[in-house]
Amino acid sequence: METNIIIKLNNVNFYYGQSRALTDISMTFGKNKVTALIGPSGCGKSTLLRLLNRMNDLIDGTRVEGEILFEDKNIYAPDIDPVEIRRKIGMVFQKPNPFPKTIYNNIAYGPKLTGVNAGDLDTLVEQSLKQSVLWNEVKDILNKSAMNLSGGQQQRLCIARALAMKPDILLMDEPTSALDPISTAKIEDLIEELKKDYTIIIVTHNMQQAARISDETAFFYIGNLVEYNKTEKIFTKPDVKQTEDYITGRFG
Amino acid sequence: MTRQTKEIIIKYIFFLFALVSVIVLGLIVFSLFREGLPIFGKVSVKDFIFGMEWYPTYDPPNFGIFPLIVGSLIVTLLATVIAVPLGVMAAIYISEIAPQAIKEILKSVIELLAGLPSVVLGFFGMVIVAPWLQDTFDLPTGLNIINASMILALMAIPTISSISEDALYAVPREFKEASYALGATKFETIVQVILPAAMSGISTAVMLGMARAIGETMVVLMVAGGAAAIPESLFDSVRPMPASIAAEMGEAPFRSGHYQALFAIGIVLFFMTLFFNLVADYVSHKFRQIGSGTL
Amino acid sequence: MNTFNNNSMKWRYLKQHIFFGLVRASALIITLALGGIIFYIVYNGIGAISWDFITKPPTDSMTKGGIMPAILGTIYLTVGAIAIGLPLGIASAIYLTEYAKQGRIVRFIKVGINCLAGVPSVVFGLFGLGFFVILMKFGSSILAGSLTLGFLILPTIIGASEEALKSVPQTFREASLSLGVSKWQTTFRIVLPNALPGILTGSILGIGRAAGETAPIMFTAAAYFTSKLPGSIFDEVMALPYHIYVLATAGTNIEATRPIQFGTVLVLVAVVLGIDLVAIVIRSYMRRNKRW
Repeated sequence: METNIIIKLNNVNFYYGQSRALTDISMTFGKNKVTALIGPSGCGKSTLLRLLNRMNDLIDGTRVEGEILFEDKNIYAPDIDPVEIRRKIGMVFQKPNPFPKTIYNNIAYGPKLTGVNAGDLDTLVEQSLKQSVLWNEVKDILNKSAMNLSGGQQQRLCIARALAMKPDILLMDEPTSALDPISTAKIEDLIEELKKDYTIIIVTHNMQQAARISDETAFFYIGNLVEYNKTEKIFTKPDVKQTEDYITGRFG
Repeated sequence: MTRQTKEIIIKYIFFLFALVSVIVLGLIVFSLFREGLPIFGKVSVKDFIFGMEWYPTYDPPNFGIFPLIVGSLIVTLLATVIAVPLGVMAAIYISEIAPQAIKEILKSVIELLAGLPSVVLGFFGMVIVAPWLQDTFDLPTGLNIINASMILALMAIPTISSISEDALYAVPREFKEASYALGATKFETIVQVILPAAMSGISTAVMLGMARAIGETMVVLMVAGGAAAIPESLFDSVRPMPASIAAEMGEAPFRSGHYQALFAIGIVLFFMTLFFNLVADYVSHKFRQIGSGTL
Repeated sequence: MNTFNNNSMKWRYLKQHIFFGLVRASALIITLALGGIIFYIVYNGIGAISWDFITKPPTDSMTKGGIMPAILGTIYLTVGAIAIGLPLGIASAIYLTEYAKQGRIVRFIKVGINCLAGVPSVVFGLFGLGFFVILMKFGSSILAGSLTLGFLILPTIIGASEEALKSVPQTFREASLSLGVSKWQTTFRIVLPNALPGILTGSILGIGRAAGETAPIMFTAAAYFTSKLPGSIFDEVMALPYHIYVLATAGTNIEATRPIQFGTVLVLVAVVLGIDLVAIVIRSYMRRNKRW
């Protein structure tokens, strides 16, 4: 695999029971890039995202065909442990989902289970919270429940929690859709910052957001990858009529 | 060991734990059969179930449990007749009518009633209700069908009420709104829309309430009077099956015919309640869908 | 609006009034029944309660003295039932909510649990006698009684645990799994701790039942009278519910021991309803303060 490519999908089909949710998807994701997945509801973009760290395994009656290569290995090969995959490919969800634990323990939860020793935990927690630009707001209340934070803070906490595992890739499933504009702006700045060290794949409904933060954009429609290109190109001169309709329709 | 093997092993360990209930159920059947079936070497199944004489200590003994079955059925039916209207109405009150504060109190009342130990209710029936019945109706004894049925009804009400309430609560709000929007009163909405939609749940509630009543022991042991004969009036004493088992097991010599017959009564009782429970389970699954189709 | 319609509306509202009256009356009857029973027990029983009554053993062929051995026996049996029912129940519920895929096996297990829940208490007593006392040769003992009661409350605990586990938001599981935490670690560190308060309050109601049951311990654990306290789990014990039954029906001095009977009933009701009440209060507190 070329060095600047981190994930490669080859002819991926995905089924919920009998119904096909993704049709013959082949695409690659660039290393240290922000890639946006856009498209109308039900187009399969979130399904695709959840395929990348095998979160769809949790849903009964689903089936994957084709292969998804990460570090030259098919993550759906029978000898692959999904737990291992998820350590390297973190995820941030649509609604902030902190555990009902203290702020500190939310971050420390994952590293503790992978055997990071207690001495290094403090540093790791601080580092992760600084990375997610939350440190200054919470450094004095690390032992307070994470449930007391605002929605935007909770989401940044969830990002910090994912970062504490030192993943290679961060998957974000509409991370700002439940947030107010100010929190959204903060998260977008954060994504800008994070892409230096991480590969980010983000699903979003928000056209402007995709345009602002991503390097590449993929447009999905009814389970098909319609167009995939540099963000600039997609938003200025899309090749496919459908893409243009969707983007312009959104802009009004 | 890889993590995946470990996960699979953990899954199967939990599976074994989940099987415990089924295994215990099997062991119950096994134990009842092991101790009870030998009686059918001494008396035929037909004579056992339909025999009119229960004289287990006579020589030769009579092992006919028909009067006991009748006793069980009659107190259960009467208790159901008392408990169903009260329990269902209380459920309607809680889920549709009562203000929030009263709703909370009533739910606690019903839960506490469910929590009262059966021996306490039996004691209450014996010490309070029986003398009152005896004086009021000038009876030879207040320990009779009426008394036992009233106390059993108290025990069945919490089951009936709480399950009915869940069923009523599960009726989609759109149904109610549609009915109100058509100008129906609250009463009309309850009777014509909400109750029919909740009917399968309420039927389940009634079945489970009956199962509770037929298997209840201490109340019938202490309050039903203990006469092993077919009753002629509701003021007669009866000896329901659980009462016979509880009262006589202490005196029955180990693995005697009497002892085996008591276990055999346990078999009959077990399968009767099993029947009620399976029907309830079937009803609640078969008609689970509370959709517009049931209206 | 014409007269006919007005009359018709009046009639419709009259029906509603009558119906609501009946419904309220039903709720009132149930409340009064519970209130009456509790009042009567407290009124008659309070006089018998004293420090000696709770801390001394019975004397003079159980016509005088206290009920300490019965209280102790009930505690032993209840603790034993919890020790058996709680871990089994929680583990079963974990399988059903966290691991099992919907299908025939789960359906089979669930039907089994429902049927077990419906087994009459006296049949549990027979099972305990036939299996634990005779076949396993435990004799009539704390062990046999605890096992019988433990399996009796198993379905209640499974039900409570399932409900509590299901109420843990799916997002918690996803968040943990997405960090590369394995399934069983997620179950133990995230799902179970968050479900535990719910599991415990739900189970308390089952535990109250274990403390108050009579028929299952009649042939498996309960003694009419023991001169000394149990020394091991293979000894018989006195127990509050059985003590009430014996004094009220089989004693030679039924009338003379009435005060003791009422006192014992009051103690049992206080223990059982006290346990239930604690569960109810904690639960309503938890519901009000739920963060998710």
